[in-house]
Amino acid sequence: MLKYFFRRLLSFIPKILIITILIFIGLEFVPGDPISYLIPPEQMAFMTEETIANMRENLGLNDPAYIRYFKWLGNILKGDMGYSLINGVKISDIIWTRLPATIELTALGFAVATILGLLFGFISALKRNTPIDYSLTALGMVGVSIPEFFFGLSAIVVFGLTFRWLPPGGRMTPGQPGFFQRIPYLVMPVLVIGISYTATLMRYTRGSMLDTMNKDYVKAARSKGLSETRVNLVHSFRNAIIPVMIIIVNRIPILIAGTVVIESVFNYPGMGKLILESISGSDMPVVMIATFFIALAVLIASFLVDLLSALLDPRIRFGKM
Amino acid sequence: MEKDYILQVKNLETRFKIGKKTVHAVNDVSFNLRRGTTLGVVGESGCGKSVTALSIMQLLPKAAHIEGGQVLYTPSPEQTLNLTDFKRNSKELRSIRGKDIAMIFQDSLSSLDPVYSIGWQIMENLRMHEKLSKKEAKEKIIRMLGELGIPSPEDRFKSYPFEFSGGMKQRVMIAIGMICNPNILIADEPTTALDVTIQAQILALIKQMQQEHGTSVILITHNMGIVAEICDEVAVMYMGRVVEFGSLLQIFENPHHPYTKALLKSVPVLGMGKDTELESIEGTTPDASTVFKGCEFEPRCPFAMKKCTEEHPMVCEIEEGHEVRCWLYEEKCKDDRR
Ligand SMILES: Nc1ncnc2c1ncn2[C@@H]1O[C@H](COP(=O)(O)OP(=O)(O)OP(=O)(O)O)[C@@H](O)[C@H]1O
Ligand SMILES: [Mg+2]
Repeated sequence: MLKYFFRRLLSFIPKILIITILIFIGLEFVPGDPISYLIPPEQMAFMTEETIANMRENLGLNDPAYIRYFKWLGNILKGDMGYSLINGVKISDIIWTRLPATIELTALGFAVATILGLLFGFISALKRNTPIDYSLTALGMVGVSIPEFFFGLSAIVVFGLTFRWLPPGGRMTPGQPGFFQRIPYLVMPVLVIGISYTATLMRYTRGSMLDTMNKDYVKAARSKGLSETRVNLVHSFRNAIIPVMIIIVNRIPILIAGTVVIESVFNYPGMGKLILESISGSDMPVVMIATFFIALAVLIASFLVDLLSALLDPRIRFGKM
Repeated sequence: MEKDYILQVKNLETRFKIGKKTVHAVNDVSFNLRRGTTLGVVGESGCGKSVTALSIMQLLPKAAHIEGGQVLYTPSPEQTLNLTDFKRNSKELRSIRGKDIAMIFQDSLSSLDPVYSIGWQIMENLRMHEKLSKKEAKEKIIRMLGELGIPSPEDRFKSYPFEFSGGMKQRVMIAIGMICNPNILIADEPTTALDVTIQAQILALIKQMQQEHGTSVILITHNMGIVAEICDEVAVMYMGRVVEFGSLLQIFENPHHPYTKALLKSVPVLGMGKDTELESIEGTTPDASTVFKGCEFEPRCPFAMKKCTEEHPMVCEIEEGHEVRCWLYEEKCKDDRR
């Protein structure tokens, strides 16, 4: 297992490097002068052309691209990501206020949706061809075919504005920053962000369950005199989730990308909303860095799910597959 | 001598419902298993051997159900249970599965759960039925693995199924089956997936287990050679029915049913003369969902009469313990049982 862990960890490094290169190239093509986001704007206002040219030399902006790339990478690692073009705030500061909000939203959304998707798929398979199965399948179809922002807007209208059960948007009531005080704000976005993911997961789990329920080892387990609950959970379900892990890994980027829309719909101050705001303000450096963090989050999440797959399947752990 | 039987299957009927179609997989099947002996169930592919075996402990697929008949299990002279009285996954039946009656399945190479170690899987059966500490259970399992010829059983205890060869997996399946010391072991073609040398080893192991533990065995096979080697009694099945039942000697020396005769001619039997020619049975098996008015074997039978197309033959006991389902022996019946 340890060997597997390090092997996966090693394959992680080139992926991150590729992402940073892509982001760097993106920044290179940003229209305008890179110097504009490398030094605080208020400082720039008092500079002459000459000092700026000097700055450019000092900052190495005239160096070849690959040297600038490594310098830039070093700065990022030190936490120096430049400045926003719009308000001159350090990009690192923006990220540190926005990133936790998004991590909270997506991690909770992911957890809730995964649990619901697996649970519904499991129930649907056990009750196959019954009204329960049919209704879950129908709900699943609705879930994958209607875009999430529609569910989001409907939820805001119904629960936020009509019944006023939940705040229609935002992340917290001013002055009440505790996690438990934030929960009412999280309920709707957390549920909505995972709708299509839940539906997809449910469909795959159901199929996978139906498949494993017919396996010889399940019949053999039953012949030991085990209870149906144990046969279904410890043998059928345990094996059924292994192929489903691939679906989970594949859906993580889609789920995280969903924050761009969902955060805007719920006026939730996270990375997704930040990206949208920065795009409309043409604040490319912020867009790029925010994208970098989102890509990083996707990589880390996939890495964790990969490790979980290995824990679940001895054949992966021992490198037989 | 009824009490001598540990298992009696009486007029068992098992049906598959597939859409609107009903497949009569097992029809009026009866046979007896004497305590401590081996009963062979033979017949060509699709004749209902596996479905019969699965019906005993109701391990049938969802589409199948038992429509009638009895499965009488007599663990001790004072007690007889009718297993068909119990619901499919009822507590009563579950307490018998794996403990009193164990089964090795036809596709035994895929009968091990790929995600658990083999020790864990044997342990699951053992601790389900016996109150043992983990340590005691482990010791017992390692002893059993050793008995079954698995090298370095302490290390192999933690191995996963994909680390085992076919023959070794089959040994593990026998270990799972035998770990609770069952009264009956049902082995459904335990050697078909294995190569010939391993086949002989596995059969020898089953026989050894039987002798050591006094287990009664139902051995399903389509290999008459295996039957001749280790069975005491034989049930010959054709299209969901037992067409002939008798002791090994009765079946091999004095076969009556035309199908049994043909079957014996169509397979090589150990000790058979070199120049005896093998014959194949004329015709093909009809589809299992076909419903016959008369005898199922009539279309392929060289001795078919008019009566055979009109009426199902009844079972005749032509000799003590030797039963045939064929119109040819109508007059020879010792007594009319039905
Ligand atoms: N899962 C199933 N669904 C539908 N019909 C089935 C199923 N399993 C068995 N049957 C029917 O029951 C009949 C008997 O099948 P069974 O598996 O008992 O044959 P068998 O004698 O064990 O053959 P083999 O030697 O190939 O194992 C088959 O002809 C088939 O029509
Ligand atoms: Mg079979």
